[in-house]
Amino acid sequence: MGARAEGLSRLAKAATPTALGLFGVIALALPVRLFEGHLPMPVIPLAVVFFWSVYAPNYLPALSVFFVGLLQDLLSGGPLGLWPAVYLITQYIVLSQRFYFLGREQRVVWLGFALAAAGAGIILWLIMSLMSGVLLPIRSLALQMLATVAIYPAFGFAFSHLHRRVLVEA
Amino acid sequence: MEILGQDRREGLGRKASSRFSLFLLTAVAVLLLFSSLYSAQASVFRKARENAMDAAAPILSFLSGPITYVDGMVGKIGDYFRVLEQNDALRQENAELRQWMDEALALRETIAAYEQLQTYQAPPNARPVDAFVIGETNDAFAHSMLVNAGMQKNIKRGQAVIDDRGLVGRIVETGAHASRVLLLTDIQSRVPVYIEGAEVEGILVGRTKAHPEISFIEKDVQGIDLRGQRVLTSGAGGVLPRGLPVGVISDGEQNEMAVNLYANYARTRMVRVMNYEFPQLAPTEDTTISSTDALDG
Repeated sequence: MGARAEGLSRLAKAATPTALGLFGVIALALPVRLFEGHLPMPVIPLAVVFFWSVYAPNYLPALSVFFVGLLQDLLSGGPLGLWPAVYLITQYIVLSQRFYFLGREQRVVWLGFALAAAGAGIILWLIMSLMSGVLLPIRSLALQMLATVAIYPAFGFAFSHLHRRVLVEA
Repeated sequence: MEILGQDRREGLGRKASSRFSLFLLTAVAVLLLFSSLYSAQASVFRKARENAMDAAAPILSFLSGPITYVDGMVGKIGDYFRVLEQNDALRQENAELRQWMDEALALRETIAAYEQLQTYQAPPNARPVDAFVIGETNDAFAHSMLVNAGMQKNIKRGQAVIDDRGLVGRIVETGAHASRVLLLTDIQSRVPVYIEGAEVEGILVGRTKAHPEISFIEKDVQGIDLRGQRVLTSGAGGVLPRGLPVGVISDGEQNEMAVNLYANYARTRMVRVMNYEFPQLAPTEDTTISSTDALDG
């Protein structure tokens, strides 16, 4: 009994980042109109992908990232493969730079996230412009990424507590 | 035992996972993306989206209830601070509407008199379906909403969606219990419209900005000042009914033809799907195509 419960809790812990990513996707699909739609919804899955790619990549394998992105495509009605590509490329870039971020101050990590969000935004804009055949206006995308970056410290704080206190602690 | 547990804890993505599967999955994503580029409406992709929409519909409608409630509360708090000016504005609007009501009553009488004539043929009635907005794409580029009515309520692709102010968009995907409404601001949105007064027909093109633009097909309008004119659906192409209010031409540059939509997407909670049969002599090609499409997929 005890062993099984332990196994279950381990599984739950291992799956938490993935679940958070999926939750972020659901949040993006909900009709939340922050300040009457003047404030765009932050892309929470991007913060999830960034955080766990820096601090504990084992907890968020590429397959999870892929399916989080795919669900986002399915729910947003966009072309399939768009968000998986954006998240996976972000993950790749972050993984290649993660040793720079480990042990740094939160401010530095925040700056890193801002760069990652900017990169993700540029990839997104390039792909969508390519697919629609015109150079798309960049304003709403920039606002959304700004909102995501602005709210990242809160998520970073919450995620690091969750990770240290709950997920890693046996 | 403990070593085993250690292993299993990392079971979701062992060490080796990182690079190879990352590359592989990125390649898969890019391939998917390119295949959707060449067959955006492929039935497989559409089916997948419709299934995902159906699966997510219960979760979304469950969660959107409290969100609507909180939004309403926040709106009410805002209203407390603006009650005086709102009252003034409403009084003014009420006075204007009363004049319109008189005019409408007079018109109704006239129309009733005309309808007595033998030659008159009533246009087919729309059978509207009411639905709540349960989801929304809060994306930078994709602008769509999910509503909680689908094929079970006889909703089909292409039908117009309105709210209490005007046209919201049209149905592009239908699941059994949920459908996706493509908003007029989406980059893919194309709606045939005409401008009242000028009798100019054109296509309303979504630009991912708040104000879609009209690109003209019928006649050159250089030099005509259309600012402030009403824009209505033209019914061209036989998909949307004619005469649904869309918006007014905005006051900006004369050549720009941006449209201020009547619909306020930040407040759209309840919509009406216009289940409209187009009056036609030949069997409607459009609906047969879309229904076979649905069967294929």
